[in-house]
Amino acid sequence: MLSVEIVIGVSLLYIALLFSVAYYAERKQEKGESIIANPYVYSLSIAVYATSWTFYGSVGKAATTGLDFLLIYLGPSLTAFSWWYLLRKIVRIAKENNITSIADFISSRYGKSQWLGALVTVIALLGIMPYIALQLKAVSTTFDIICNYPTIQLPFMHGQAPLTGHTAFISAFILSVFGVIFGARHLVSSERHEGLVAAIAVESIVKLASFLIVGIFITYFLFNGISDIFVRMKANPALLYQLTTFGRTNAVSYANWFTLLYISMGAIMFLPRQFHILVIENSAEEHIKDAMWRFPIYMFLINLFVVPIALGGILYTGSSSGADYFVLTLPLKSGHPWLALIAFLGGFSAAAGMVMVESVAVSTMFLNHLVMPVIVKLKPRAWFSILLINLKRFGIFLVVFLGYLYHRIVGETYMLVNIGLISFAAAAQFGPSLIGGIYWRKGNKKGAISGIFLGFLLWFYTLLLPSVVEAGWWQTDIMVRGPFGIGFLKPTALFGLTGFDIWTHSLFWSMFFNIGGYLACSIILQQDEKEMEQVRKFVDIFAPPQEEAPWEAKRLSKPITIMQFVNLMSKFIGESQAHSAISEYLGESEIDERGGVSEFELPNLKRFTEKTLAASVGAAAAGAIVESYLSDIGSKMEPVYDIYSKVRADLTESSENLYVRLRASEIMAGTKDLQAIMDELLDLLRREFKFDLTIIRLRNDEGILTRRSYQGEELRSIIERSVQPEINTYIGEAFLANKPQFVNDTQHILKPESKELMEREGITSFAHIPIAREGEPPLGVLSVFSKSIVGLFTQPFIALLTSLAGQLAQAVKIDSEMKAKEKAELENVRVARDMEIAQQIQLSLLPATPPDLTGAEFACRCLPATHVGGDYYDFFRRGKNVVDIVIADVSGHSVGAALIMAETRSVLRAEVYAAGSAGKILANLNRLLYEDLTRAELFITMFYAKYNADTRQLIYANAGHNPPMIYPGEKASCRELDADGLILGVKQDVIFEERNIQLNRGDMVLFYTDGITEAQNDRGELFGAERLCGILAEGYQGTPETIIETILRKVVIHSGGASLEDDISMVVMKVD
Amino acid sequence: MWPKIRMALFRRLCLMESWVIFFILGLIMMDFPFITIFDKPVTIFDIPLLYLYLQAGWLISIFVIYLFVKANIFVKTNNLNKDTGQNEGEQR
Repeated sequence: MLSVEIVIGVSLLYIALLFSVAYYAERKQEKGESIIANPYVYSLSIAVYATSWTFYGSVGKAATTGLDFLLIYLGPSLTAFSWWYLLRKIVRIAKENNITSIADFISSRYGKSQWLGALVTVIALLGIMPYIALQLKAVSTTFDIICNYPTIQLPFMHGQAPLTGHTAFISAFILSVFGVIFGARHLVSSERHEGLVAAIAVESIVKLASFLIVGIFITYFLFNGISDIFVRMKANPALLYQLTTFGRTNAVSYANWFTLLYISMGAIMFLPRQFHILVIENSAEEHIKDAMWRFPIYMFLINLFVVPIALGGILYTGSSSGADYFVLTLPLKSGHPWLALIAFLGGFSAAAGMVMVESVAVSTMFLNHLVMPVIVKLKPRAWFSILLINLKRFGIFLVVFLGYLYHRIVGETYMLVNIGLISFAAAAQFGPSLIGGIYWRKGNKKGAISGIFLGFLLWFYTLLLPSVVEAGWWQTDIMVRGPFGIGFLKPTALFGLTGFDIWTHSLFWSMFFNIGGYLACSIILQQDEKEMEQVRKFVDIFAPPQEEAPWEAKRLSKPITIMQFVNLMSKFIGESQAHSAISEYLGESEIDERGGVSEFELPNLKRFTEKTLAASVGAAAAGAIVESYLSDIGSKMEPVYDIYSKVRADLTESSENLYVRLRASEIMAGTKDLQAIMDELLDLLRREFKFDLTIIRLRNDEGILTRRSYQGEELRSIIERSVQPEINTYIGEAFLANKPQFVNDTQHILKPESKELMEREGITSFAHIPIAREGEPPLGVLSVFSKSIVGLFTQPFIALLTSLAGQLAQAVKIDSEMKAKEKAELENVRVARDMEIAQQIQLSLLPATPPDLTGAEFACRCLPATHVGGDYYDFFRRGKNVVDIVIADVSGHSVGAALIMAETRSVLRAEVYAAGSAGKILANLNRLLYEDLTRAELFITMFYAKYNADTRQLIYANAGHNPPMIYPGEKASCRELDADGLILGVKQDVIFEERNIQLNRGDMVLFYTDGITEAQNDRGELFGAERLCGILAEGYQGTPETIIETILRKVVIHSGGASLEDDISMVVMKVD
Repeated sequence: MWPKIRMALFRRLCLMESWVIFFILGLIMMDFPFITIFDKPVTIFDIPLLYLYLQAGWLISIFVIYLFVKANIFVKTNNLNKDTGQNEGEQR
């Protein structure tokens, strides 16, 4: 005997246990650990499939119709065979797309259709009603039984069945609160509930354990084992064989058998709570493997004692009436109330677990697919997240109390199992569209909507309606005579189909129309673009990722910033969640210099926002939220203008792309004329890509971008523009940043100056591509303009243009290098010619012939090392017998030296006749030239001599020149004529020593520059004064001219025929 | 000898075809007309034939799934699935 207080007390303790388990799991989850992420918990949580239907109803069914109760569990065991392929695929899809429920899954597959999501939700809400009612009925009835059983004997204890009227309501309320506590305490960005799953796993253990305990008690304590029960039943063989075979009504029974098997095969996957546990709460695909055999074992164990209890109950009570509650009543009747309490807890567990998961799963659908479509029409506000969580809580209550309503209507008419089967048949309606959706590409939205809707209609008409009518809630003769007396449309014998149980009848017609509608509409009608995108994500989830479109085919008509997306997300999932989501996303994407993502990245960001929102509001609503937000700020996703519209090659490049590249290469290779290349390239671009204007501007020497070529319309204000590259224009930015700049829609242009220009000329999109070789600064800008096409510039298109601009840069570079080379060559020729002229002039500055002086014979020669040189000699006649001889060497052999030499000559000529003596002439010359020499950083060595033929006297002065040589005749040695004096140009005032020598007849005097003595042979030996003296000694009897020839020959021989390193000049005088 | 047989067996079990065959086999054995073989008012060891068949069949089917799963794990851990064509998505 158990009091209400004890039952309630124990139940509360049990609830507290469940809650602490859930609380612990959530604490762990917050710390990043998970106690549910293992195959055991996953398998146990799937056992939420076993509800109070299993716990009580199976026994009832076994005791009344026999073994067909087993099919409800054999079906799922069979389905488990397919899980590694089917379930894993569904799980993968759900994870990749942040799916939140079965409604979300189906609507996502069919183009994120809101209608489909709402339809599935409505079916789930209505379809699940009987199932929830079943749990409420079981809980309230068992509670009444366990508390009131004694009242049959002791009516005074609790008055007149005190709770009966209200237990169901109270149960509904408690179970709703459960649902809220475990499933909707706060809004999360993902629909995974660790606490809930942990509690479910515990409940699964409790219900299995308590059922086994009761089973063992009845089988082995009330009876002597299973065989004993069967043996005793043999006393009534008709009943035994009725319950353990199909009986004698073959065809119908087999049809029923068949129906139960398939309906339960579907239910294990498609019931909203099963989908939730199997797919949404799955933490690793690997867990499926273990669940595949562990879950069937659970099913096997929990059914092990069903038949013994059922038969035992019949034997013990003498009939099968009230068989639904044998589990509870047998322990009570045999006087084991505590055992009954254990059974009650097990049944309560089974019911509570089911209601919790079911209500959470369906309320998620309710929120995302019925409420959200309304909410998204409103402007997002900060308090939305609070509203949403409360709506979700409301959804949970709604689900449970709809069940309560059904319970009130249908009440005691049906047995537990039969109520549950109504829900199974509803869930089966999701099967064709879901399975078709992940394996059949052609399946489309219209097919899914019409299939599911027709199936639902048939289910409603042939199953739900009869259940309500039979409960007597609606007084009508529709069941007997059909609607409006049309027998043809009788709900249980639709279109004249008779002879089957209502489940088979309903399943046949609903599936017939469901599958038929799905196939017919899918084949006849077309998928829209959004659907096709989703098809790839669902059907090809396991396909290698590179099969995705190689480039973005969508763009946002008006760019949105990252912060705008974040703000939008914050309103639905809270600020911190939004921020952490975006930072995770940005971690893997490019951010441009302005801190935004590139235009090409925006569609991805939009999809990411949708996906993130989808995790908490479902894909269809998330899509709608983002779409409506975008339209509020005047932006939308639109297809890019597909420039490669014709045939798309299999490789990443389109055939157009390849053609343009090929043609461009031909143009570049075909000619060296840069202008022709530019013209042809622009023409190619304009024709191939329908540009209205294409321009090439190159940077000129002043750094201004000036037009070099254009093709297309005469848009003067654009064409005539020469641009100083500045950051406030797009072209300037392209040039300065060396990065393509483009505007896909000039309506949303940011730079005012460009905006005005583009508006004036009616340009809708344009791009500026820097003409630059890889890693080098740009040489100019390639600009393309379109007047008609918005969204022309896609990532691959910009890449193509950039690559062409790179090729063009190469051509420009080659062209400028060639021009520079030509110029240098011209310059060289000119210089060479100038030098020749200079040389001729210089040579003409030297005396053409030596003076004709009686008493002395002269010869002279100059050989400049380069075209012009710094050597100089001259003669000045002073009357009949006197001549001045000067020889000088300007340091260096440059044009500068030649110029100084010319100056020296002029100054000297003026000075020679003014001043008298050699020393004075040198001193004056030094003073006059000092400044010029200092400025030119040059020096002059000079030897000045005066020869008087009458007296044969030579008076001379030397300004640092190498001393001339005298060879006085036979067997003598050479003497040098030296005098003190500084090189010209070192000091302003220098006094030059004057010396005087008496020459004799036959003396040979050689004036020369150091080019002779310093000529080197290949061993580095200098020609030297000795060799020179030797030549004089050998040839002193010859003429001066022959001496010069000999010297030159010997010097050339000495230096090995190499060109002279220094100028060579000499004057030879022979005294007669 | 045994490891060789086991490996050959496990490799076959990893084929998708094997799964489908056993799945369909399960459906056939659960359905009309196959089920009529056991639909007889007979008891074996005092237990009705159909009940015995269903319970035993259930256990066997669970064992078969268990074998499949073990084969899958075994082949995967030993990386033998190159030529079995085992499902596409594994290598993603």
